[in-house]
Amino acid sequence: MSQTFKGGVHPDYRKAPEIPVTVITPPAQVVIPMAQHIGAPCQPLVKKGDYVTMGQKIGENPAPVSAPVHASVSGKVVAVEPRPHPLGDMIMSIVIENDYQDTPCTDLAPLDEKQLKDPEAILERIREAGVVGMGGAMFPTAFKIRGGIGKVDKLVINGAECEPYLNGDHLTMLNFPEQLLKGIELVRIASGVEKAYYGIEVNKQDAIDLLNSLHPEKYGIEIVPEAVKYPQGGEKMQVKAVTGREVKPGGLPSGVGANVVSTRTCYAIYQACYEGKPVIERIVTVSGSALKGTVNALTRVGTPFEYLAEQCGGFVKTPRKIVLGGPMMGICATNFAAPTIKGTAGVLFFTEEEDRHVDNPTCIRCGKCIEVCPMNLEPVFMYMYYSKGDFANMEKYHINDCFECGSCAYNCPARMPLTHAFKTAKLMFQAKAAAEKAKEAKK
Amino acid sequence: MNEKNERIVLDVAYQPQVRTTRDTKSLMLDVIIALLPAVVVAVWQFGTQPLLMVACSVAAAVFFEWGYRKLLHKDPSIGDLSAVVTGLLLGLSMPSTAQWWMPVVGAFFAIVVVKQLYGGIGKNFLNPALAGRAFLLSSYSLAMGQFAVPNSLKNIVDGVSMATPLSYLYGGGKMPAYFRLSSLFLGNTPGSLAEVSSLILLAGGVYLIARKVISWRIPVSFIGTVFVLTLIFGGGDMSNLDFALYNVCSGALILVAIFMATDYATSPVTKNGQLLYGFGCGAITVLIRYFGGFPEGTTYAVLIMNLCTWAIDKGFHRHQFGVSKEDIAAEKAAKKAAKEAAK
Repeated sequence: MSQTFKGGVHPDYRKAPEIPVTVITPPAQVVIPMAQHIGAPCQPLVKKGDYVTMGQKIGENPAPVSAPVHASVSGKVVAVEPRPHPLGDMIMSIVIENDYQDTPCTDLAPLDEKQLKDPEAILERIREAGVVGMGGAMFPTAFKIRGGIGKVDKLVINGAECEPYLNGDHLTMLNFPEQLLKGIELVRIASGVEKAYYGIEVNKQDAIDLLNSLHPEKYGIEIVPEAVKYPQGGEKMQVKAVTGREVKPGGLPSGVGANVVSTRTCYAIYQACYEGKPVIERIVTVSGSALKGTVNALTRVGTPFEYLAEQCGGFVKTPRKIVLGGPMMGICATNFAAPTIKGTAGVLFFTEEEDRHVDNPTCIRCGKCIEVCPMNLEPVFMYMYYSKGDFANMEKYHINDCFECGSCAYNCPARMPLTHAFKTAKLMFQAKAAAEKAKEAKK
Repeated sequence: MNEKNERIVLDVAYQPQVRTTRDTKSLMLDVIIALLPAVVVAVWQFGTQPLLMVACSVAAAVFFEWGYRKLLHKDPSIGDLSAVVTGLLLGLSMPSTAQWWMPVVGAFFAIVVVKQLYGGIGKNFLNPALAGRAFLLSSYSLAMGQFAVPNSLKNIVDGVSMATPLSYLYGGGKMPAYFRLSSLFLGNTPGSLAEVSSLILLAGGVYLIARKVISWRIPVSFIGTVFVLTLIFGGGDMSNLDFALYNVCSGALILVAIFMATDYATSPVTKNGQLLYGFGCGAITVLIRYFGGFPEGTTYAVLIMNLCTWAIDKGFHRHQFGVSKEDIAAEKAAKKAAKEAAK
C-alpha cells in the first residue's frame, strides 16, 4: 500500500519522463551568480581576465550556512559584476567566456575507499562540491546533515517529484539507479543512521521496480511507495508519509528525528564523492505552451533562459511568464538573460493558455481550500483576516504554518490569490518581529 | 539580450502558476444540471404552468442581480450563474397554483435584499432562495399553501387542490391509500414543483457529490437526523418506520437538504461543523413539524441554522499540524502549574 498525508490536490501532471535527456551545448558565455543557496553569498575568487577550468571553485564564503560555486565551463573570465539573478534583483556574478574545451579541474579527486566510509570526509566533500538542496530550496546540504547528526533517526530521501512537468528526479532514477543508491548510502553514512527511507510516488513505478531490483537493502535503503498527490514532496508531507511523524509548528524535520534530502541532491553527492565532480550541471525540464514540447535538458549552471529556449526549439508563441521550478511553487523570473542555477529543476515558458487569472476574484466560501490544505489550515478565514489586517486572528489561525504549497489557491474555484496573500502575511509577521527586536535592543 | 525578447513584457505572477479548471461558473452549472430533471418531473405532473413559473423566477433573479450591480456601478456578476441557481430553486419551491408574479417578488427579496445588500455572492448570511420563499410564505400564506392535484392523481382525486401527505402525518386523519411511500418516492404527490419526486432529487444529490460540488455531510446528517428522530418518537396511525420514511420523503426535505442547506455562503466550511449544522437543521425541522404552527419546517430550520453558521465554524477550528493531543494536554498542565506557582 502506498503511504501519504491528508489533503492535497491532483493537478494536471504533464510529465514526460519518456523523453530522453538532451545534452544542451553550453552557451558562449555562462553567468554564474554568487548566490545559489540560502545563506551567506559567496565572494568571487577570480577576477576579470583570469583563465578558469571546468569545475574550478570561483566563489566561496567561510560562513557555515553557505556553499561554494564552481565554473561550469572552462575559459576566460570576462566580467565580475552584478547581473540579473533568476529570483530577481542584480547579484554579483562571474561571466565566463566558453573556450569549448571543457578542460577539467583536478582540485577535487574522487574519495578513496576509506574516505567513502568516513562521515567527516563525506561532509567536507559535500560542502566543497557546493551541494545544496536541489529540489529547489537550495539549503546547503552539508549544514543540513550536520545539524541532524545525533538527532535524526529516520533519514528520508525525497523521490516524490510531485510538481507537474518536472522529470529530472525520475530520469535520474532510471538512468543512474546504482549511482543514486550509492549517493543515498553516502548521505546515510554522513548522517550516522542505519537506514534511509526512499519515498517515491507510484507514478514512477518503473523506477521503483528498477531500484528494488538492485537490492537497495545492501545500501541500507528501503523504498517506500507513496500515493500520487501534490504536495507529497513537501518536506513535512514526506516525513508524515514515511514516518507518521508531524513536524512541530515552526520547527525543522530534525526536531522530530527526521531529515529530508532530495533525489537530485543525493546524485550530486555521488558525483562529488565518487567522481570528484562539483555541482555544475543538472537536468532542467524545459516546457510550457510557448515551446513546441517538453525537453529534459541536461544544462550547465549559468545558462541564460533565452539561450536555453533557443536550444529547446525556440518559441512558437510569445511567452508571458518564465516559471522557475514546477508550476505549483515555482516563482516567476523577470529577465530572459537570467541564468539557470543549482536549484533550477524546471524552466517553464507559459503563455495565456496556462493562465486562469480573473480580474476581481470573489470568495464564494465553498471551503474547497480547507479540504486540500495539507497543514490542516483554514485558508478561507486566514484570507479574510489578512484582508482586514487582523494580525491577532491570523496568528490564531496559524498563518505562519503555511509553507506556500499553493494547493488552496490551485483548488479555489473563485481564483482567490490565497497563497500570495499568506506569503505576504508571513513577510509582514517577520518584519513585525524584526521591528520589535530592534526596539528591544534599543532599550 | 536578444532584441525581440527585450520587448516582451513578462508577467510576474504569484504562485501557483496553474489552477484547476473548476471555477464558480462550472460549479453553479452543475447545480443547474442536477435540478433540470426535477423541472421535467414538475412538467409531467403539473403541465406547462411550472415552466412559466421557473422561467419568470430565473429571469427575475438574473435581472435583479444585473440591475442592482449596474445601478451601483459594481462589476457585473451574472456570469457566475449563481443568480440562475437562486431563481431556479425559488421557482421550484413554489406550488404550481401560484401566480407568475409571486416568484418575481420573491426573487427581488432574495437577490436584492438578502444577497446584494450584503455584498453579493459569498457574503450573504441567509440562503437567498429560502429567504425569498420564507418572505412569500408569510406574505401570501394562502396561495403558498395550496397544492394542485398532480396529473397522475387526477383520476382518483376530485377538485383542483388537495392536501399534501405531510398534512396527514401531523394534522391527524388517516393517510389516504393513494399516498403510498413508493408514490412519494417516484413523484405522484402534490407539493411544490420540485419536491414531488424524491428519487429525482436524490439522483441530483448523487451527481453533485460525485462532481464534488457538495460534500455528503450536510444532506446525510440533515436527512438522517429527521429520520432517526421521527423513528424514535413516531406519530400518525402507522408504524414508526413508515412514519419516519413518510417524513423523509415529504415536505421538501430532500430538496432543501441537498440543494439549499448546502449553499456555500451560508453553511459551515469545517467538516465537523457541517455535521453539526446538518443535525441542527434536522432537529429544528422535526421540532417545527411536531409543535409548529404549520407542518412544513425545513425552510425555517435552515434559515435558523444559517444564522448559526459563523459560530459553528469558529467552534470547530481545526487541530494544528504537528501539535498532538499530548502536546495540548502538556501545555494546559504547564499553564495550570504556572498559575498555581503564582499563587
